[in-house]
Amino acid sequence: MPVTITSLNPLFVGEVSGVDLTQPLTHDDVAGIEAGMDRHAVLVFRDQRLTDEQQLAFSRHFGELEATRGTGISKPGELRLDPAFADVSNLDTNNQPLARDNRRRLYSLGNRLWHSDSSFKAVPATYSILSGRVVADKGGETEFADMRAAYDALDDAVRASIEDLVCEHSLQYSREQLGFDLTPEERATMRPVRQRLVRTHPVTGRKSLYLASHIGTITGWPVPEARAFIRDLTEHATQPRFVYTHRWRPWDLVMWDNRQVMHRVRRYDESKPRDMRRTTVAGTVMTVAQAA
Amino acid sequence: MNITPAHPVFAGEVSGIDITRPLSRDQVAAVEAGMDRYAVLVFHDQALTDEQQLEFSRNFGELEVTLAGQMAKPEDRRLGDRLELGDISNLTARNAIRERDDRSRMYALANRLWHSDASFRAIGAGYTLLHGRVIPGKGGNTEFADMRAAYDALDDATKAEIEDLVCEHSIVFSREQIGFADYAPGNEDRLRPVRHRLVITHPVTGRKSLYLSSHIGGIVGWPVPEARAFIRDLAEHATQRQFVYSHAWRVGDLVMWDNRTVMHRARRFDDLKEVRDLRRTSIKGTGLEVGQAKAA
Repeated sequence: MPVTITSLNPLFVGEVSGVDLTQPLTHDDVAGIEAGMDRHAVLVFRDQRLTDEQQLAFSRHFGELEATRGTGISKPGELRLDPAFADVSNLDTNNQPLARDNRRRLYSLGNRLWHSDSSFKAVPATYSILSGRVVADKGGETEFADMRAAYDALDDAVRASIEDLVCEHSLQYSREQLGFDLTPEERATMRPVRQRLVRTHPVTGRKSLYLASHIGTITGWPVPEARAFIRDLTEHATQPRFVYTHRWRPWDLVMWDNRQVMHRVRRYDESKPRDMRRTTVAGTVMTVAQAA
Repeated sequence: MNITPAHPVFAGEVSGIDITRPLSRDQVAAVEAGMDRYAVLVFHDQALTDEQQLEFSRNFGELEVTLAGQMAKPEDRRLGDRLELGDISNLTARNAIRERDDRSRMYALANRLWHSDASFRAIGAGYTLLHGRVIPGKGGNTEFADMRAAYDALDDATKAEIEDLVCEHSIVFSREQIGFADYAPGNEDRLRPVRHRLVITHPVTGRKSLYLSSHIGGIVGWPVPEARAFIRDLAEHATQRQFVYSHAWRVGDLVMWDNRTVMHRARRFDDLKEVRDLRRTSIKGTGLEVGQAKAA
């Protein structure tokens, strides 16, 4: 049975049927999913009871995977999952919910701000692939905003004014916004990288806004002016008409193209377990030439 | 005096009154009643002088001095030593357009974040009155969001959760968000956080509203990142389009609003090329002391 995709939103997001991701995929399956990603930017697969190994095997069809080591604040020995996974749960290594003032929990609250995964890397990610193992009864939705539609909806004067702007991204900027205290050592690992604000998708040729809460300034702009402007653009880009809200069911797998969408998680009752596991496909190109 | 609604949930346009002249007791009462109901009132074509604006404002209580004025050096104050008159312009003391990296421009950019005036003081502002003298050709609107309607629209569980929360406000927190922290020494007392209840009750109407502001940096008893993420969610809820009136300025508009029932912000305009000159007066708030005392 071939891969079929049904639209879930007028602008973007498709639900995929006719494919079992626990099984090896054919060349056509992979091509069908990639074509779906180019068009829909977010794809939802239901009832995919993946093991970690199966999630890794599925993800590797789309490129090399990012390792999460060195990008967060977790130290070796604190990881609940294989380093190829980003642990997007609220759980400790004993699978218990983290305490309210747990540092890793407070750090992860940055995911409640609109962002694009790994925009703080000189070579940023393409796809993120998130498997919902234990989902929240209430809240904990993941929202996606279509940065192509948001770009298209800008007026001509704004489009012209932003065409060649370059932003500086770092994890320290998103964490600073929530008042999270980073140590000097952590800060040192979070050197800002530069990304074009307007990027063009390599396959479809569509332009999109490359926004993220990781942005701290625009090259050549005074910081307060840059931040006020980026906030305005983000507000424009995340209007309800550009947003799809994903309400998780257990064993949903959602993949999205970080080059084309922003996302964020919504609040939920963190005294209960929420176990989400993310694999991330590494990109191969920079948006601005710089030292990697 | 007549008031026409300017928006489905709040904001009214006032006609039939000349506020350049002294007001009768009945006229003051009518304006106050309008404020209780609409929270934002717009008076068009009022050619006020600074003195007349101060005079009109004093009808509604004791005037506040502006923090930016207090912190500025006397020689940098365009409007002289009357600290009750806030300079909401992009002009230097010599009436030139501020340079791109001008410190006062950086400080004022935080007005583009949703806020309630003077919520960083132990007693925040009641009414603010803003008069348009020079208006740019494009942009520079002031937007208002109705914090009563925003409160009413919360679900019951959220209302119960926030009922007794107390927030910490400081000018430092709003400026930090846009990366500004350049304060002259000697202002430590002005920068120290104050506490306000998140849910406040209007002293006249008894209506509850969300006392939100970009000046909030924490919730008492909460870890800071959790508080900030939650306040951002609430502010996003409270500033949805259905709660927002956008005021497109005309020269001679006087807009007054109640900081206990609305948040506001300025929108972007080409401030390196065009002049925008607005003058602000604020009335000391009443009815907020209760929250402050309870919070302490």
